[in-house]
Parts: sequence; C-alpha cells; structure tokens
Amino acid sequence: MILHEQKQDDIDIVVLLGRFIMADAPEARERIKNLIDNGSGKLIIDMEKVTFIDSSACAVLISAFKNMQVKPGRLLLVTSPVVQSLIELTRLHTIFEIVPSLPAAISAFAA
Amino acid sequence: MIATKHNPEGVTLSISSTVEQVCLLSVAIHALCLHASGDEASAMAVQCAVVEALNNVILHGYKNLPESDIIVHWTQTKAEMRIDIIDFGHSMTLLPEPVLPDFEAENGRGWWIINASVDEYYYQVVDTLERARTYQPDGSHDYSEAVNATTHYNKLTFIKRFS
Repeated sequence: MILHEQKQDDIDIVVLLGRFIMADAPEARERIKNLIDNGSGKLIIDMEKVTFIDSSACAVLISAFKNMQVKPGRLLLVTSPVVQSLIELTRLHTIFEIVPSLPAAISAFAA
Repeated sequence: MIATKHNPEGVTLSISSTVEQVCLLSVAIHALCLHASGDEASAMAVQCAVVEALNNVILHGYKNLPESDIIVHWTQTKAEMRIDIIDFGHSMTLLPEPVLPDFEAENGRGWWIINASVDEYYYQVVDTLERARTYQPDGSHDYSEAVNATTHYNKLTFIKRFS
C-alpha cells in the first residue's frame, strides 16, 4: 500500500493506494493518528484507489474515527467499490461518513 | 512463496507466517479463483475469506512467530472451488461465532467476513498418533500400550460455488 499525505487549506487528506491489509495497518494507524493529533480536526481518508481491504484495515478506520471523536473533529471517507463492499458487509457504513469522491469531501467541509 | 501443481485440478501454495506474505498469496488465490469461475465477485469473496483466515493463523495460531509454514491447497471441480488452509500452530478448540462485535471494537470481524464470503467452511485438527506397545517376556500375548499425539496440523476448508 502507498500512503500520501496532502493538505488543502486546513483539511488534512490521506490518500491510500493499492492493497490495505494487516501488513500495512501499523504504519497507517500511526500516521493517521499523528495527523489527527496535530491537525485541524478536518480529515479525509481517500481510498478511491484502494484495490483490497481486510478487517485489519477496518480496525485502522475505526481507530481513526474514535480518535477524531476525542479531538473532536470530523472524518470523511472516500471509498472504492471494493472498500465500500467490505464496509457495508461489516455494517460500518452506518457509522462512517462516506462521500463519493475527494472533491465532494472537500466541498462537504466547505459547506 | 512456493507453488507446486499436483494434479490438473489443484495448486498448492506455501508461505512463511508473516503478514507481508499474505498479500502475495491472496493475490494468487484471487487469480486462480477468477480463472476458474470467471466471476470477479466470487474471486473477491474467496480472497476476503482467505486473507482473514491467514491473519488469524499468523496472529493466533502462530502468535506472530515468523518462519512457520502455512500451506494453501486450491482445487476446482466443475462448479466449486475448495481452499484448504493448513498450519501447524496452536489449534482452535471451537470455531468462533460469526457475529459482529460492537462498532467501537477494532477486532473480531474476521469470522463474520469469512462466513459471509464462502458457501461452506469447516475446521479440522488432525493429530498424528504414536502407539507404543510393550510386551513382557512372560510368553503371553498381553501388552501395555501408550498412545501419544506426536504432531498435529490444523486445516480450515472453504468451499465456494459458482455457476
């Protein structure tokens, strides 16, 4: 998996590419936590180009969600069909705020 | 990863018990399933189940101990794929219930995913027994016997049907 960090105005953006599985979870968890701890409370995790995800990756997203609640702040997820499928299978779509694209996520923060 | 082909229907893949190896094996399983079924959804579902099972073996079976063996045997019949995941680590004494944990829980979704992804699954613990019979020099046919389980392996089997 490749993880890029970007910033647009005061919005932190994490872009993930490739397969997001247990081998990638510790690094992703740490980097996202650092962004939340040091960020503005606005975070987008863009997984539009994630091609596979497992329950370990879901755990990272839940951890990010909980950290953002503590901050407090707002977390938006952008999902690929594969990611969306697993998130729905595990019922996490009822909790996460999911938007269809990165521009839509940025717009959601501007609104 | 080591691959061997035993017969026209089967392929055996072997990795060591590290999370980095899971990616390679799961990509291979996905490709085999896609080739056999021609159905991306079925191939993806099997891949999901296999990844969760391999994670469980590494975390719980081998307690994160690297350099232990995991063998995955993939076979295909006319409308069914069968995947055996074999390890030599700690055995489960019961199959976990495939239920979702509370949302806040970060773990415990693996068996839910497995249960939803394949048509059937079952788990076997296979012991190899050593049977030692001791005869005394008294001319009788009586003997004492000691039976020990010397080695074992665990096998989790997934079955996925396709049309």
